[in-house]
Amino acid sequence: MDDYTIGVLSNIGVVSFVALSAYLLLLTGEISFGQQAFFAIGAYAAGIATALWGWPLALALAWGALSGGGAAVLVGIPTLRLHGLYFSIATLAFAEMVRILFELFRYQVEIDGELTGPSGAEGFRNIRYIFDHNIDAVQFLLLIYALLAAALLGFVLLERSRTGVAFRMIGEDATLAGLQGISVARHKVLAAGIAGALAGVGGGLYAHLTTYVEPRIFDVMLGVHSLAYGLIGGLGTAFGPLLGVLIDIGLLESIRALAGYRMIIFGGIVALLLIVRPRGLLDERTMHGIGNLWRRTLLRLRRPGPGPGPGPGPGPGP
Amino acid sequence: MLELPVLELKDVSKHFGGVRAVDGVDLGVARGEILALIGPNGSGKSTIVNLICGLFPLTAGRVVLDGVDISGMPMHARVTGGVARTFQNIRLFGQLTVWQNLWVAQNSGEQRRQNFGRRWFGGSRGARGEVERTLEFFDLAHKSNELAANLAFGEQRRLEFARALSAKPALLLLDEPAAGMNAEEIDQLDNRIRKVRDDGVTVLLIEHQMELVMSIADRIAVLNFGRKIAEGTPAEVQASPLVREAYLGTPEIA
Amino acid sequence: MRPATRRTVAVLFAVAAACVAGGAEAQVRAKADLRCEQASEVLLYDCTVGLVDSRTNEPLTGLAVTIGADMPSMAGAHSVRPVVAAEGPAKGTYRFRLALEMHGDWALLINLSGATRDRVVKVLRFEDGRVGEAPPPRR
Repeated sequence: MDDYTIGVLSNIGVVSFVALSAYLLLLTGEISFGQQAFFAIGAYAAGIATALWGWPLALALAWGALSGGGAAVLVGIPTLRLHGLYFSIATLAFAEMVRILFELFRYQVEIDGELTGPSGAEGFRNIRYIFDHNIDAVQFLLLIYALLAAALLGFVLLERSRTGVAFRMIGEDATLAGLQGISVARHKVLAAGIAGALAGVGGGLYAHLTTYVEPRIFDVMLGVHSLAYGLIGGLGTAFGPLLGVLIDIGLLESIRALAGYRMIIFGGIVALLLIVRPRGLLDERTMHGIGNLWRRTLLRLRRPGPGPGPGPGPGPGP
Repeated sequence: MLELPVLELKDVSKHFGGVRAVDGVDLGVARGEILALIGPNGSGKSTIVNLICGLFPLTAGRVVLDGVDISGMPMHARVTGGVARTFQNIRLFGQLTVWQNLWVAQNSGEQRRQNFGRRWFGGSRGARGEVERTLEFFDLAHKSNELAANLAFGEQRRLEFARALSAKPALLLLDEPAAGMNAEEIDQLDNRIRKVRDDGVTVLLIEHQMELVMSIADRIAVLNFGRKIAEGTPAEVQASPLVREAYLGTPEIA
Repeated sequence: MRPATRRTVAVLFAVAAACVAGGAEAQVRAKADLRCEQASEVLLYDCTVGLVDSRTNEPLTGLAVTIGADMPSMAGAHSVRPVVAAEGPAKGTYRFRLALEMHGDWALLINLSGATRDRVVKVLRFEDGRVGEAPPPRR
């Protein structure tokens, strides 16, 4: 693999975390334009932990997740009382506030004779962990994808759990979910917390991938994109937002002829899909169909032989 | 002298601006009975159901469940406490399967404890067994893995009823369960409501289908303009001149 | 949900710890002095970077230097492929040509490999006919 491919794959991996983060809130029916704030908080927290405090990377990433998740819970408790558009605006306002706070945030320590640390709008350079520990680009790529795989596994388990189904219930009809005995407020705050932690891990990885962050990176643009990934990729499965990231960064990026026009084309795709497939390419119906097909194939494999194929059968479980 | 009623409404009122949707209603539902709440359109029946399950706050009065004042409780806590309902207009989670609709509605206190450690892949064995029995009872077992949105109308009505029973309620609120059903389906519904009552669930039934009401209700309460104008056995209610005047007017229930 | 979160977090920890086990001592740190000017065409820039060891100020020679470019305001959103720099006549200088997609602030990631592995990040403002320090955005 050349540097360019590694770079693009790393970007896909890291952005997937923010996309999953926005997706989780979409499941509970909330549109957040502010997940980039938790990505930023995770990036700064993890960067400070390794570059200034000398923590190991694993601990720094966990700290990034904790900071992102903690901030998301604190913001979620008041804002999740708002609904629909009001919540969206609140998240957007919060994210811009965080970005501007990072423009003012200075915390520098002299390390190896050089001032290191966040320096307001000039950014935060020298997050040198991967150079100090001789981690090359491929190894870091593997780390990103190992964590992404763990996050996806978490999602697969979540979607099969009562909590995951409850998230979807709240997303479809929050009042009705409440009338089934589901505590809507508690579930929403929980979803916001997990989403914040996911974005935080992504941010921590991003900071160590580029070794450099600055507030402008965490602009609304990133939030809108991560939201769009779930909407185009599909809300039926956690692989939906990943498909969205792949389409945007993987496909559009690799087509050189589109250089410079990518945003326009991406915007067009989002608009088109929202009309044609409001819940994305891999929506609930599609995933249910795929699940049935899979179950039928398994049945056929288990009972080989000619004759009339067995019916779908009332598979237990969701 | 008498056993504590499952549900008591004490001087309950709900005003929307100047509209007195429910105005000082007292109502008791005894354990194990089927109480039908009837009245002309707009008389406040559905509002009462919404007040019992906490969809909006009371203007005045108290709602008491099993001797506990639940007037200030959030909706989900009332379900855990034993109130479940169906809707006049079917409300299901269409993008979830029939199974999921029932499984995640198992939210009585006991079920929660049971399910806490076992929340994956269909939950604890007890939870799975309960879902299966409910599906069997409502003749939906073959649809277990279907998306709720893909069901036929009658099946959706049954699923709503089944979901309301999933949380093992002490009190079941049925809001016009027979709407849109044919005679055969109403017959089945009648049997199921009786069976549920025989299993120890108290039923508060709102229905316009008078044949059904007269057939299964132990007692009937009649509302008009947000006030209770009569209460008693079906025979007593039919005999009440107030009711005749306000609502029954024509002798269609004879 | 709590058991699910706990398990997920545990897996995350294990994987991260396994991947990052074993450290190394600090390496040489590079300092870069970057100058760019517009070449014959619009959006085409010729740049020279002078690399020195930040502690000893010794020029760093014989390194493989590649330069990536990204816009901080649209991170990861531009397909500028990394370019390889060629060692220049002066000791520790490397030259490369950048083809950018648009004018504006670009973060140049100067990647060194060979005897020293490091990355120096420089943010410059590329305009038509002019390249300067990117002033931090004013509020």
